[in-house]
Amino acid sequence: MKAAALAVGLALSTALGAFTIQSADAVERGGTLNFARYDGSKLVDPIYADRNPDIWMVGSLFSTLLEPSADGKDLVGSLAESYEVSADGKTVTLKLRDGVKFSDGSPLTGEDVVFSLDRARNPDLGPWAGLLSAIASVEADGANITLTLSTPDPALLSMLATFNTAIVSKKAFEAAPGANDQEKAAALFAKGGPGLGSGPFFLSGFEQGTSMTFSANPHYWKDGEDGKPLPYLERIEFQIIPDDATRVLKLTAGEVDIAEFIPFSRVAELDADPAIDMNLFPSTRIIYSPINTRETRTDGSPNPLADKRVRQAINYATNKDALIGLVLQGAGKPMSSPVMSSATRLATDMSPLYGYDLDKAKALVAEAGLEPGTEITLTTLAGSADDATIFAALQQMWAPLGISLVAEQVDGATRGSKNRSGEFDIHTYGWVDDVNDPSQVTGWLGYYPTRKAVGTGWNNAEFNTLYEASSSEMDPEKRADQYRRMQEIYAEAAPLLFMYETPFAVAVSAKVDGYLQTPLGNNVFERASVSR
Amino acid sequence: MAGAQYTLNRLVLMIPTFLLVMIIIFLLVRLLPGDPAIAIAGDKASDADIAAIRDKLGLNAPLWTQFWLFLTNTLQGDLGRSILMRAPVLDVVLARLPTTIFLAVYAITLSILIAGPLAFIAALNRGKWQDNLIRAVFQVGLSMPVFYIGLILLTFLAAQLRLFPVGGYGDTFADRLYHLFLPSVTVALYTSAILMRNLRAAIIEVLDAEYVQFARAKGLPPRLILGRHVLKNALISTITLLGLSIGQLMSGTLVTETVFAVPGVGRLMLEAIFARDYPLIQGLTLTFALLVSLVFLMTDLFQSWLDPRMRLT
Repeated sequence: MKAAALAVGLALSTALGAFTIQSADAVERGGTLNFARYDGSKLVDPIYADRNPDIWMVGSLFSTLLEPSADGKDLVGSLAESYEVSADGKTVTLKLRDGVKFSDGSPLTGEDVVFSLDRARNPDLGPWAGLLSAIASVEADGANITLTLSTPDPALLSMLATFNTAIVSKKAFEAAPGANDQEKAAALFAKGGPGLGSGPFFLSGFEQGTSMTFSANPHYWKDGEDGKPLPYLERIEFQIIPDDATRVLKLTAGEVDIAEFIPFSRVAELDADPAIDMNLFPSTRIIYSPINTRETRTDGSPNPLADKRVRQAINYATNKDALIGLVLQGAGKPMSSPVMSSATRLATDMSPLYGYDLDKAKALVAEAGLEPGTEITLTTLAGSADDATIFAALQQMWAPLGISLVAEQVDGATRGSKNRSGEFDIHTYGWVDDVNDPSQVTGWLGYYPTRKAVGTGWNNAEFNTLYEASSSEMDPEKRADQYRRMQEIYAEAAPLLFMYETPFAVAVSAKVDGYLQTPLGNNVFERASVSR
Repeated sequence: MAGAQYTLNRLVLMIPTFLLVMIIIFLLVRLLPGDPAIAIAGDKASDADIAAIRDKLGLNAPLWTQFWLFLTNTLQGDLGRSILMRAPVLDVVLARLPTTIFLAVYAITLSILIAGPLAFIAALNRGKWQDNLIRAVFQVGLSMPVFYIGLILLTFLAAQLRLFPVGGYGDTFADRLYHLFLPSVTVALYTSAILMRNLRAAIIEVLDAEYVQFARAKGLPPRLILGRHVLKNALISTITLLGLSIGQLMSGTLVTETVFAVPGVGRLMLEAIFARDYPLIQGLTLTFALLVSLVFLMTDLFQSWLDPRMRLT
């Protein structure tokens, strides 16, 4: 019932949001929006942004050539007004929009695009260059940009709508002090000011670990509902409030207008507050637990989870709805595709994916000959209330299978190391897509050469071949088939404990309209407005 | 000048302390499971990227080489670059340090202001209701965790009554006093409880001492007896305790700064540990050690002023 009430609340707040966006006269211009963040940015630069608090802010300061359509399913022009892919898929041509400018009013030209894309695909610089490895060259002739590819890449257009290909001003970048690219980027970020990007805002203040200020870019190319240029807001003040409870208090005390990452246990209470819109933005975030599939553990002992039937059994024995009730107070849904969130393109709806079935689970462990009392370790994050709940629930749910589940609590850095070294049985984990294409998450979870299938050691030849083929398959239908088959293989092999999808819980003052967090997590302020 | 000689001796003694702190912290961070390269590159990075970063950070060099570099660089005032903040450690620490020092001084001042008068009232009314009430209230302060008191104060005084801001730290001096009042009170409640108990016991002891009875018999005015004879002698043990609790208070800032969103070095330390930012953890620990050593030094000097016998030891 609670879930239903929340869903209604969400639908209502979304509907209200949509209503206010459309009523043009109601939009109030100017003003400052105060935003409480869970963690601060360190360096908001398209190619060096590698943590979510950095990645999710790139789009406010920089624009990309293309952008996701409003429903997220398609791509539309942004800085480029049109694009075309050649029949062989090896040439992409784009035409820049007339008169687009950087935030200091200087013109944005083809030269800036070449500079930015060359920088983005340079493997010696940022961590994302691999996503653009298909590009052989980038050339500009006036406003016409030509990308020549070494192999066709079906994800390339999506990449042109992703933060790492955002356009920076060549002139501003080269004039910055610093011996190398990274030092220049850090110097520009530390200094702030207009002229580096062409996003709806520019950075006008930054204090490490404390605060950050964005000011409206007067030269932004998009127009608002009132026919005048976006953004509506004049400034955004970010404060870093790492403590969940304090962030909520800041909002209820009226000191900030938006508080992000609301703990799910507080959602219902904030939803009932008439001064607050409790938003549950759909996300690509999935919570799952990699299972070690290797024949032996790192200490040499035999690994009971190497048997596919045992992995399937624990999936069947896990009551996902109960978990969602316990951990998310109902604000989530079971994973329906084994390798991606349902919001990701090409996701196959296989629900119920391992629907709760204790008898089947018992039959599978009997068939696998699992010794009663077998000890399995679940590695969880120390201090995480969610993980503690998950452990307690799983321990009970799996007990009828003869599994004795023990907890091992570690911090995030240790968990990351264990995932790489394979020193775990099962550990909690999560993922949010960075790219609006299924290739990133599928490669991460299933393609062995990327990261040993998220550290599980699962290495399936058919899956790997399909993944490689899909990476250059330009026929959308064939590619969709490949993805369908990969999802089938993965679901059957169960290298993960498939858990659930969670939304982004953001509490917004009723005075604010038009704020959005995209399924990839990006904070979008260009249409946000605040009435005082 | 015996005082100068004493100060010099104390300063020289700090050198081995620091060497020891450096060795311990150097080894401790490396004993932590978890790889800073993974913390930097993120879980999504490839194994090759991780290896490249380890190489760049010098983590593949032998331990003693790493330590030698750490030692010689530190002696030259170079604490290295923070991995997380992508800036020199010294700059990062210095930017955050004043806030924490402000918070600590504020909290200590409040503790003394709270504990001092109440200890006197309790001691002078030993066994009466005033004494019992004061001790009961402080017992509660002692037995509650700092973060919990902080949250209660935040919920009632800041969020509901809106008397104080929920977080942040202000720009001007007056603004800071206002913003940091709740975090300081939170810390001060605990510290003042310890101080009050100690000071009360010390005052009672001194009140019973023969020299105080003699002073009374001599007919000295009570004000003079309390100020010159009782307070000065009762303070000796309390000052030691105050010095020790400042050390504890520094670690308390880790919690307080997180709850109250105060951007000081306590919160920075937490971030650094989670990110396995070795240079920053080392730099911060050294800073903490330096601060605590300075406080201990000042405590000793103050004590030797209160009690000249201390200078001989």
